[in-house]
Amino acid sequence: MLSTFLSHQWKSFWRSRNKAGSIAAQVVLGFFMLYFLIVAIGIGLLMETIIGKISPGANPLIIFNGFILYYFLFDLAIRVQMQELPTLSIVPYLHLNISRKTIVNFLNIKSLFSIFNILPWFIFFPFIFVSVMFKQGGLVGVAYLLSILGLIFFNNFFILYLKRKSINNVAIFGAGMLLILGLVGLDYYEIISIREFSNVIFQAVAKYPFLCLVFVALGFAIFTVNSSFLKSNLYTEELSTKDDKKASTDYPFLNSFGRVGELAALELKLILRHKRSRSSLVMGLLFLAYGFLFYKEKQLASDQFGTMLFAAIFMTGISIVTYGQFMFAWQSAHFDGLLSNKINFKDFIKAKFLLFTIGSTVITILSSFYGFMSYKLLLLHLAAYLYNIGFGTVLVLFFATNNYKRLDITQSASFNWQGVGATQWILGFPFFLVPILLYVPFGIMNKPYWGLVAIGLFGLITLLLRNYWIKLIVNRFEKQRYKIAEGFRE
Amino acid sequence: MIEVKNLIKGYGGRTVVDIERLNIKAGETIGLVGNNGAGKTTFFRMLLDLIRPDGGEILSKDINVANSAQWKDYTASYLDEGFLIDYLTPEEYFTFIGSLHGLSVAHVGDYLKQYEEFFNGEILNRGKYIRDFSKGNQNKVGIAAALMQKPELLILDEPFANLDPTTQIRLKALIKNLSTTQRLTTFISSHDLNHVTDVCSRIILLEKGKIIKDFYTDENSLKELEAYFSE
Repeated sequence: MLSTFLSHQWKSFWRSRNKAGSIAAQVVLGFFMLYFLIVAIGIGLLMETIIGKISPGANPLIIFNGFILYYFLFDLAIRVQMQELPTLSIVPYLHLNISRKTIVNFLNIKSLFSIFNILPWFIFFPFIFVSVMFKQGGLVGVAYLLSILGLIFFNNFFILYLKRKSINNVAIFGAGMLLILGLVGLDYYEIISIREFSNVIFQAVAKYPFLCLVFVALGFAIFTVNSSFLKSNLYTEELSTKDDKKASTDYPFLNSFGRVGELAALELKLILRHKRSRSSLVMGLLFLAYGFLFYKEKQLASDQFGTMLFAAIFMTGISIVTYGQFMFAWQSAHFDGLLSNKINFKDFIKAKFLLFTIGSTVITILSSFYGFMSYKLLLLHLAAYLYNIGFGTVLVLFFATNNYKRLDITQSASFNWQGVGATQWILGFPFFLVPILLYVPFGIMNKPYWGLVAIGLFGLITLLLRNYWIKLIVNRFEKQRYKIAEGFRE
Repeated sequence: MIEVKNLIKGYGGRTVVDIERLNIKAGETIGLVGNNGAGKTTFFRMLLDLIRPDGGEILSKDINVANSAQWKDYTASYLDEGFLIDYLTPEEYFTFIGSLHGLSVAHVGDYLKQYEEFFNGEILNRGKYIRDFSKGNQNKVGIAAALMQKPELLILDEPFANLDPTTQIRLKALIKNLSTTQRLTTFISSHDLNHVTDVCSRIILLEKGKIIKDFYTDENSLKELEAYFSE
């Protein structure tokens, strides 16, 4: 029976409607996994040397012991966000003459095929084989292996259980992350030490190998709890996220923009009420940290804005890029309705501009905390902001009139290649190249501030010409609308 | 009201719609019948300027629908769920559609009161988004939103499908009533010959995009249609 299930899964993947997209996603995912695996093996094999480098003279085993619980704590936090619940695929089997036990087993086995369960093998096992087994004997090595396996099992089923029990993932993820960061902080200031704790535990395992059975028992216990919970709650309605009562909302601020504001409000609701758009919103906020990677003291001191320009454009324009790249396709499900209703195309396009301007303004204000790093960054962000709302918006909307791919917005955005076409790939080039090209001549002449002025001025001029752009895009939209509508219907 | 001239649309070398001439007078209720692939929905889409015809034109009040958006002022339609903004609550959707036609929230509320019977208590204040409703109830939302626009021309694609019997009967009464009291022109497509002959004053039979029959209904219409389809 189980093998039948697995073969059905296999078929459902290869025969899925947007096969090209999901295969592309799997290939990219595959590359990521391969990369992580290689890194993991590297870490595993070189663990002794790495540990020697970071803290010379320390006993590698103690450091290694201290690292184990840490790893699984982080593992838990990441799993909360990333691990998927294998639920929906069982619907067609529930009414058939198949015992619940078989279905539950299938769900459990399926959940084990996850990168999170494979990664630790590569990180921990090489070190265990190389160092622990040789130095402390086979029995201790086996005890370590069993402990790690137990922890993997525990994490896997613990998260599934948590996710099945609770609804609000984001809150748990946030709380979990805070807890772990708190623990790391406490560890750093040597108030409570997880490393110490982890070390004590695994030294005990090394001394009394049978203690590893505790981990195995823990893993098995949560597995049993999870299975029995599943068995008694095998209703898809109860296994998937529950619906709370939906209320109508109104945005008074947008109402002041009249018809255009109404359309913008409509789209804001679209963003907030769909998984894919919501997760791009969250990603946009996460990218606010981009500056910490790109902004360096040295370059700031010598006014080298060229290298930082990309990050500035990216951060202040993230809402325009991530949301705009799929533009009009967000509304592909009800595009016919929009066209046949009494909506002026000019208002329709204006609403997009309004939304982009608001989004970019908000994120630019949020990003102003980089001002604490240097006031120069505020100038940089201002120039980037003007460029984004002036030229970036126009560019994105112009490309949008060439996007005919329907977008399924009910799925999550991470590793989702559905609806990605040529538009999305090409869009990035002009978007990021134009400001850099504007800046380069001034950079070469060693007049960095003039470079910023040039970008800002360019943005400002295009912004002032907005009504002209709107006319241009509306004209194009009118020509392209049949083609867009046809593509969205598929 | 509506004038169709030499309308042609094909996909991949196959002609889907080929209507040489068709005139519709204001106040007529037209039933469009034909098997799957006869071109009913494609015709509706061209009437709503959602598909560009390969040739010919559709004039609504003497203006080509593809050249001006004026027809949107007096035309309301519901073809499928693609016309609904499914992430809104029904109240939000009605308010939005109402606002497009200059109706205030209070007006929309008043209007919806008339349709309490039609909704059968299943649509309003349920705390659900439209996407979470059953197909029949989604249909109701779409049809009510179309009627709310006080159109002169109403286009419904298979409105009776997925509706419960009570609502089917109510919808038929509603359309009949509007066509006599407000001279509403209606296009309805349906696979249910009983409904079509019951509601419509004129029936157009399509086969492979061509008009095969075009007649005003009388007591023999149903038999005539049944005879055609059982051949």
